[in-house]
Amino acid sequence: MYLGIDIGSSSSKAVVLNEKNEIAGISVKNLGTGTDAHKEVVAEALSNAGITEEYINYTVVTGYGRVNYDKADRQITEITCHAKGVAHYNNDVKTIVDIGGQDSKVIKLNENMQVDNFVMNEKCAAGTGRFLEVMARVLGCSLDDLSEMAKKATTQISISSVCTVFAESEVISRLSGGESRENVARGAHIAIAKRVMGMCNRVGYAPKVVMTGGVALNEDMVDVLSNELGLDIEVLPNCQAIGAIGAATFAHDLYKKMEADNNAN
Amino acid sequence: MEYLEIIKKLEEEALHPKKSVIKEIKETGKKAIGCFPIYTPEEIIYAAGFLPVAMWGGNTELKLADKYLQSFCCSIMRANIEYGMKGDYNMLEAVVLPTFCDTLKCVCENWKVAVPNIPIVPIVYPQNRTIDCGFEYMEDEFKRVKDEISKIANKEIKDEEINEAFELYEEYRNTMREFVEVASDYPQIINLRKRHLIIKAGQFADKKRYTEEIKVIIAGLKKEELKPFNGTKVIATGLLSEPVEILDIFDENNIAVMGDDLAQESRQWRTIVNDNSGNVWKKMVSRVADQRGDTFFYEYMKSRGNRLIEMVKDKSADGVVVFMMKFCDPEEYDYPIYKQEVEAAGIPILYLEIDQQITSYEQIRTRIQSYSEMLMMRR
Repeated sequence: MYLGIDIGSSSSKAVVLNEKNEIAGISVKNLGTGTDAHKEVVAEALSNAGITEEYINYTVVTGYGRVNYDKADRQITEITCHAKGVAHYNNDVKTIVDIGGQDSKVIKLNENMQVDNFVMNEKCAAGTGRFLEVMARVLGCSLDDLSEMAKKATTQISISSVCTVFAESEVISRLSGGESRENVARGAHIAIAKRVMGMCNRVGYAPKVVMTGGVALNEDMVDVLSNELGLDIEVLPNCQAIGAIGAATFAHDLYKKMEADNNAN
Repeated sequence: MEYLEIIKKLEEEALHPKKSVIKEIKETGKKAIGCFPIYTPEEIIYAAGFLPVAMWGGNTELKLADKYLQSFCCSIMRANIEYGMKGDYNMLEAVVLPTFCDTLKCVCENWKVAVPNIPIVPIVYPQNRTIDCGFEYMEDEFKRVKDEISKIANKEIKDEEINEAFELYEEYRNTMREFVEVASDYPQIINLRKRHLIIKAGQFADKKRYTEEIKVIIAGLKKEELKPFNGTKVIATGLLSEPVEILDIFDENNIAVMGDDLAQESRQWRTIVNDNSGNVWKKMVSRVADQRGDTFFYEYMKSRGNRLIEMVKDKSADGVVVFMMKFCDPEEYDYPIYKQEVEAAGIPILYLEIDQQITSYEQIRTRIQSYSEMLMMRR
């Protein structure tokens, strides 16, 4: 069995793959690096797979917390792991949009489903899940409810501030001015979509486009981004755990290679 | 001294510029003059008996500089103003500043008010460098700077002294060209961090002593066994590759720099003098007039992209790393042009936006490691 762990900035994910590269166990918790959530997701994924740690042949860790996790056999970045994880489901994807808690990335894939180019957002939180967290707080709803709220929007409003901090005060002004929460929620999604669109243009996107990361669970966000890009965006199963699936797939491949090398010697 | 010991010594000197300059002043008995980036004519300063020392900013907390330079200004200039206001540059007799960009132009005036105790000598380079009047103007401008330095030195600077200093600087530049070539053959010994610090140390040292030390390093390297390098090879471009912690991440990921197009490094010495007139002023001017592919010099057909492509081919490198100094307008204007050319040639680019006051490296780490993984998988 093979273990992939993705310790993100705001969530932790673990995936166990069996010898056939099938998902035997999976766990996601909305607590990220700096917490013990990675231990919990590993325990839960192992339990789902019906095994204990000693049955794991190889472990790959990814995500922001990867550098400080010393129990893995190898650490690989989330960009490389997302490409591998997407290939687990689909072999004709050209572009991945991954919006995580702290950063967003657009990854261009080559014909072998390997990373051909990528862009990441700069240091600020604009265009990330953090931006949506701030918006949800201002709108007085949970992150999970943001999508449903935005779907009820009656008009498109624009949030002009790129900076999350300024956008927060702009949203408060809009609400004070009588704008509905639904329209403001949609406006927040449009703001992210425009930001991501810029990144897509920089990297040179092409269909098929898939979206991964926690924000892909937000249906309205996916619809808004699809409209902005002018093409359908597919959301893969287990979209939040794609990085961990990729890490587990690497664990499988690296172990098999190691075995083959040992046999050859 | 063994060449490895010299490397260690130079690394220390580069990491502590203020301490190094004070030590150099003491050991040479010379007074120092600060040189703002880029292409300050150090030969003139050296000929006057001063020690020219570079002012490429640094990783300092910015408290005072905000009074003159807002947060959207280049961090090198903000750091220079900060150091000036804090008194860290009090060992300098004067500073010389080429007014290449909008920020440098403003800094020239800001400096007079912010750091009134250290006189400033501006130098204005012509953008039309290759036409006769541009050539003549530049010669006059160099001579005007000589007169200004002469007043500070309180002595006449003779042409023979300029000539002697120019010859020393030519020897330094030839040696540095050889050093970066030889260093690229030994990435296991001269990693990114070492390469950068060795080069940087020369900017706070008397070029005579430093050039001799670099020659010892070159000779030492040449005696080492050439070993195959299994990491990834890149060409670096931009203003400078700092903070040095970023270079550690490259080294952790087994990435070697095969050559550079950095303003702080190879752009300082890559242009070979193409003037046989025997006149030192014309030689100095020709070094500037013949500089190509530099963001600070006007070029009708920008050649930077082609230069980078040729460097990648020449060194069989895997890609180009862009060290983009945040808020450096000239560098940012160049980027879309050479990016398109380099990518059209099938060469992957890693774009790193940097400033000298970075304290968190996690996102940069992800970018560098992902780039390395991407290049390795392409093989």
